[in-house]
Order: sequence, then C-alpha cells, then structure tokens
Amino acid sequence: MAEVRTPDTARTTAPDRPGKAGQPGQAGSAKPAAKRTLKDYRSEVKPTWCPGCGDFGVLAALQRALAERNLDPRDVVIVSGIGCSGRLPEFVNAYGLHVVHGRALPAAQGVKAANPELTVIAVGGDGDGFAIGGGHVPHAVRRNQDITYIVMDNQVYGLTKGQPSPSTPTGMQALRRSVSMPKMAPYEGVLEGQLNILAMIIVYGCSFVARTFSSQASEMAKIIGQGLDHPGFAFVHAMSPCPTFYNTYDPWKESFMPLPDEWDTGDRIKAIDMAMEEVGDGVFHSGVFFQDVYRTYTDKLQDVYAKAYGDEQATIDALMDQYA
Amino acid sequence: MDQLDLTIRIAGENGEGVLTVGDVLAEALARSGLHIYTFKNLPAEIKGGASMTQVRVQDTPVRSPGDALDILMVWNQENYDIHVGEVKPTGVVIYDPDECDADESLALSQIGVPLQKITKTVIKTMKSKNVLAFGILTACLGIPFDSAKQMVAESRWGRRKEFLESNINALKQAYVYVDENGIDLGLRVAVERKNGHAQLIMTGNDALCMGALAAGCRYYAGYPITPASDVMETLAKAMPRVGGVLMQTEDEIAAITASIGASFTGAKVMTATAGPGLSLMVEALGLATMEEIPLVVVDVQRGGPSTGMPTKTEQSDLNLAIHGAHGEAPRIVIAATNTEDCFYTAVKAFNLAEKYQTPVILLSDQHLSQRAQVMSRPDLSQVEIVERKQPDHNGSVSPEEFDRYEMTDDYVSPMPLPGRHGQHYVATGLEHDEHAHIDYSPEAHIRMTEKRHQKIESAVNEPGFVQRYGAEDAQLGLIGWGSSEGPILEALDRTLAKGYKVAALIFKMLHPLPEKEARAFIESIPVVSVVELNASGQFANYLQGRLAVSLQRFNIITGLPFKAGDIEEYIEGVLQYG
Repeated sequence: MAEVRTPDTARTTAPDRPGKAGQPGQAGSAKPAAKRTLKDYRSEVKPTWCPGCGDFGVLAALQRALAERNLDPRDVVIVSGIGCSGRLPEFVNAYGLHVVHGRALPAAQGVKAANPELTVIAVGGDGDGFAIGGGHVPHAVRRNQDITYIVMDNQVYGLTKGQPSPSTPTGMQALRRSVSMPKMAPYEGVLEGQLNILAMIIVYGCSFVARTFSSQASEMAKIIGQGLDHPGFAFVHAMSPCPTFYNTYDPWKESFMPLPDEWDTGDRIKAIDMAMEEVGDGVFHSGVFFQDVYRTYTDKLQDVYAKAYGDEQATIDALMDQYA
Repeated sequence: MDQLDLTIRIAGENGEGVLTVGDVLAEALARSGLHIYTFKNLPAEIKGGASMTQVRVQDTPVRSPGDALDILMVWNQENYDIHVGEVKPTGVVIYDPDECDADESLALSQIGVPLQKITKTVIKTMKSKNVLAFGILTACLGIPFDSAKQMVAESRWGRRKEFLESNINALKQAYVYVDENGIDLGLRVAVERKNGHAQLIMTGNDALCMGALAAGCRYYAGYPITPASDVMETLAKAMPRVGGVLMQTEDEIAAITASIGASFTGAKVMTATAGPGLSLMVEALGLATMEEIPLVVVDVQRGGPSTGMPTKTEQSDLNLAIHGAHGEAPRIVIAATNTEDCFYTAVKAFNLAEKYQTPVILLSDQHLSQRAQVMSRPDLSQVEIVERKQPDHNGSVSPEEFDRYEMTDDYVSPMPLPGRHGQHYVATGLEHDEHAHIDYSPEAHIRMTEKRHQKIESAVNEPGFVQRYGAEDAQLGLIGWGSSEGPILEALDRTLAKGYKVAALIFKMLHPLPEKEARAFIESIPVVSVVELNASGQFANYLQGRLAVSLQRFNIITGLPFKAGDIEEYIEGVLQYG
C-alpha cells in the first residue's frame, strides 16, 4: 500500500475542523447527560421487512452500537439507496437521507465532506452497492472519509422479488422457497461469476474490512461499533439472509466461523488470501479481516487549508483581484 | 469621432500558440481601458487541426463577437484558406509568405510578414514566435512600442525573468520590421494604462465561479467535461481559500448525489457539467425536487447530441433542462446572458435554490463560458444573499411533532439540518406526507405534487428575469434567451437606427415561464420570432405549447455563436419582404 501510514490521526486527535462546508457545528452542544439505550434509536416507523428478514438483526445491531456510543441522534446521518435494506434509515431515530438506487456512497460522502463532525453511516444491499452502485465503491475507498458502509448481503434482489445479484453464486437456480430465481435463470442457473465482495474491497485499499452475520447479534453490534470507531472508510459485510426469495439461513449457520485466533488484522495480503480461499472452502469468516489507519480526506483537507489560506480565509474581493 | 470597433482574428495550427497571442492581446487591451470580447474556435483535440482566436475591441461594452474581420493574421495556408473570406473589403490580411500563398485576385490589402523566418534567423527562439506576432499586431494597431513593452512585461510572457529579455527582443523585432517595411494601417488605438481594480477581465466560467462563492457556495462536486471543466479548475484553487470543499468525483451521478448530500447538511452546493453530464444527472435532479433540497446545477451547453461537438456552442439543452425527469419534477431553469451576468445570475441561482428549496439549473454555453469580456467589479456589499428557511424552535419541538414538509402559505417548509437542529427526519425520494413519512395515498400525492409545483410556479414573480427592449410600436418582435441577448440587442440597435420598428424580449428565466410578459409581447406585435442556437426551436416550441400562439423562428446550427450581422439581416429580410 503506497498510502502513508499515520496511525495517530484518529478522529479523537483531530480537534476542531475549521472550514467545513456545512453550517457552523453545534453538534454535541445539547446532549443530555442520561445514557441512551437501543430504544432511543427506534423511530416511530415499523419496519416493512418480511418476517425473518436478516435486516432486523442488522437494524438492532446498529441501534445497539449507536446506543453504546451514546451518539446524539441529531449528529447521526444514515444514508441509503434503494432496496429492502435501503429502507433502514426510516426505522432509526436519527437523520436519514434515502436517495436513488446505487448512490448511497456519493450522497454519504457529500454529507461528511460538508460537515465532518457528523457520524455518517451508509447502508444498502448487494445489488445497490455492487451492481448499480459498484462504480462508486473504489472511489469512496480512495477518499477514505470517516464513513461506515454496511452492506446487507442476501445474494439476491429482494424488493424486485428474486432476481440474481452480483453476489449470487454462479449456477444458482432456485433454492428452497425461492420462487422467482427461475424467472431469470430458468435453464442453467446464473451464468455470471459470483463477485468476491470482500476480496475486491480489500484490494481497493479499504482501511477497515469486516464481515458479520445477522443471526449473531452481539458479534454484529460489536463489529458495526468497531466500524463506527474506525477513523476512515469502514466496510462491514453484513450477511443478511432473505427468507422469502433466497433462504440461506441453514447453510450460512453452518458455514459461518470466526477468523482464526491470533488473526493479524494488519496483513492485507493475508486478508485477500483468506477472502479468496474461503469461497472454495465454502465458509464465511466473521470478524475484522483488515484494519489500518490512514489519514482521512478531512485530515488531508486541513493541509490544503493550511496552504490555501493559513490563518485567515480569503475574501471574495481578494479572489477577484486575479482578474483585475 | 467614430467609435472604436475592430475585430481581429489570429489563426493557425492548434497547439502552435495562436490562442496565447489572442489571450495576451485581449488582456492587454482590456487593461488599457478598452472593452474586449473574445471568441475562440478550436477542435476538441489537444494538438493539431485549425484553431483561431478573435478579439473584438471597442471603447464601450462589446455585445457580440463581431461580424466581418478588420484584421486577419494567419500562420499557414490552411488557415488562410479557411478565414480569408471573412475579411471586410476594407480589412487587412497579415500572412506569412513562407508558409502560404496569398490569393492576389482578392481585392484586399494583404501584407506578408515572414513570422517563421524572423523567429528562426533573427530572434532564434521559436518560443518567441507568438510574441513577434503580438508585436506585429500591436504595431499595426498603432500602439507605441513602450506601451506594448509594458503589456508584454505584465503578461504571462513577462512572468519569468529569464524569458523576459528574449520576449522583449521579439517584440522589438516586430516593431523594427513594421517600421522598416513602412507598414501602416492608419490605426492609432489609444491605450491608457488604467490603475485601480475597478474593471475585471473574466470569462463566463470565471464570473460564474466568483458569483457562486459570493453567494456562499462552499461545496462543489464535479466531473471533468468540456466546456465546464474550467469551473472546477477555477474552484479547485479558489474554494479552499474560503474554507470550502471541492471534490472531483468519479462521474456526474456521484457529483450531483454528493452535492445533494452536502446540501442536506446545510451547505450551499453546486455542480457544473455539459449536456452529456446533465443527461446522467437527470434521475438525481428528480430526487432533489422530491426531497426539496437546494442545489445549483450549471449546464454549459455544447453541440449535441451524444458527444456531439464538445468545443462548439449551442442552446440545445433547454428541453432537457426543463423537462428532463421521470415523473413530474419541476425545477427552476435560468440562463445567463453575458460575462457580467454570469456573476449575478450565479448569485441568483443560489438565492432561488435556497429560497425555494429546489434544484436550479443555470444554463450557460460554450461561447459564453469561455470568451473573455470586461466587467465592472461587483460591489459585494450590494449583493443580496438569501438563506434557507430553518426551524427557529431549536430543541423545543420533538422530531415526532415536527413536519419537515409542513404546508405553509408559500409552500416552502423549514428545513432542519443535521448537527444543528433536533428535528431529525428522513428525506426520501419516495412519496411522503408532511411528516416525511412514506405515503402513497392519493391524498398525500395530490398535496405534495401541488406543493412541489406551486412552490416553483411562484418563483415566476421574482424580478429581473425578463426584459423588453426596442420600439413600443414594433412591427417585428424578437424573443431570445440566455447568451443570444448580446447579438440580438446589437442587431436591434443597428436596425432601429436604420428606422425599422423592432423590439426584443429577453428571457433569463425559462422555467417557470414568465407567461404574462411573454403573452403581452407576443400579442402586441404583428410578427414575433424566436431566435435561438438550435435546430428545432426548443424555446419557440415551449412558448407555443404554453401560450397556444404561433411563432416564427430564426435558428442557426453552425456550432458558432450568433453574429449581430446575422440577426440584422434577418430583421431586414422579414421587414422588407415579410
């Protein structure tokens, strides 16, 4: 990785961030003293998901992680695209920005760039993030803004009723209870190769890459929390089965296992190897595959400001002098 | 004394430096108290192909690129052949006799100046060929050597001390050549070095950027595209100096969606693009309308469709700007008319976006965006800035009680901002109710559709977006929009002076349509024609559809801007022959 490693620029050490594009921050000015609980992050809207949907587990895990950090809902923005999982912001008591299909990441980056003091979380599904929105992922990684991106991967398009997604296994036809997969792959199953999402995002250079399973609630809350704490772009691969169109609960319960003891989260090559090998082995590892701390986009902007204006910002009149 | 009005064109192989000669000449004349208007026509490729740059200079503000040429300087045969037909009968051609043969049969004054040979044998630095060419032009304009020397020293040629001497030498050789060969065009352009910073020399894109920053724009996302890239490049330098963020995104979809995200937090945001990029942004434009998020999208129009003609000008994105959306997604569409207007229209674009919580599309075009003009430095204390309506009951109203899309008298609702207001809500592209909850009921859709439309329609009452000119009792009325204003008004003045009864109505707001003004104009004049740079008459069709009237059209699709002379001829043709 060519990136300069500067582990000590974590969020806690970057104090005031002048020059942010948003309104002057009042974030944190009105926090009540009482510790918040999971309930404080429940909105008045009842989830619209099918009974048994893995996304319930992700929602609860996220709410728990927010509660553990006692974040003021006014300082939290959850951004989503389109899909079953894209409805998640509705169900959380916080700011939400529900945009068009595949564009959660650019929207989240705009939110964070304009007001770096906000806790920004992007959520979505495998189709939203890696089919229509796949072109945005490497660039979100390159910018390394302090954003947590949770992809709820059910390996199927749920909201449109069962078409294969980029993470659907090759050759997959109808599994048990899947009613629509044959519509799209009625003869030979899915022809396209299955995208190795985890390997791909590690290769992109992501500074935090983890996997977790919606049926393992406390582990998932822990990992989402680690993603929130990570100062940089954190990717959480949240395996979240769709009981209606591609029910993978039983096979996944068997194939999920923790990463080996003494796993070195600082070894990118080993992390890629693991992500590549587990496909052949038919297993999913949960835990943090890789983590390293690089300077964030916001950190680097401070260097830009130091050079561009130093102590005092330029006036518009001064900017116009170059045209005189 | 006759008004100074000279149109000077320099043409050569793209990449050879002719554009630099034009730029330095334009800047030097502008700094000398004169008004300039530049016009470049170049291929989309970086090197090769014929390219030209033109400077029209007057002692009053210039409104159009100029008709026939007073001075043409060509560096080779190809460019001689392309441009010689556009020289006025009284004009002068300056050509390099070693590089091209002049057509002796033409009744023109043609002067051979061996630019290449002088550079090679006397100056001995090929880089200085454009300084030599500049010097030939300033000498021909009758500008004294000392003034020209100061112009060179203050230009990009004087920036580096080590080259200044050889550049001044090249300039000197130009004056020596003109003097020794007795070249005298009889011109004595009076130049007077102006001190102070009252006048600015800007392109439309420069002015637009400064207007955006003056309005409070502090976030810009964009993707490179001709001819809008200058906006991003200018802001790349300027934005950090005022503490803002400029983000070059991976595509235009990311650019507009990131801008929406930034605006959601309260930042004033802009993205600029050209037709192909605007096509990609259409889905997200609808999102911004639906979520009622302020956003300025600049479309620097170029020749289309598809990749079309990236470096040529056209007014052909109007349909897309007004109607480009699935479902019904009203937004405000405005257009700038000249360089100075780019500044003020950019400010207005932000004010409208914030006031009405809507995307605003600001239409510019290649010619308007890249030509240089002189403008008065804006008095920023007089520039009105509008801020977004926000909840004033910070903390006292709970999110459960708060209606983000409350039905107000003006259909605009207070917008809470993350990090600032406790009334958090979820902005969604799905249909919703006042409380921002998803609601597909007929009632909710009817109410919210009305909110989105009425809000935009009420913007038609904003002052200063439509202006009538010319005769009260006109026999012919011209309707124009955006950057055709200059050539239309110049043609209007010329034909009024000849006794024709003509009038013009110029629109800077295209959606919502100032119907009252349009109807009054159209109904009071026997013949009304819509003048625009596109094939189908997009604005004419739009007016006809909205007003159920019949209109004439005058369209050109050369990829080049209107000349005042084109419109003048058209007016005379209509009024003489009907």
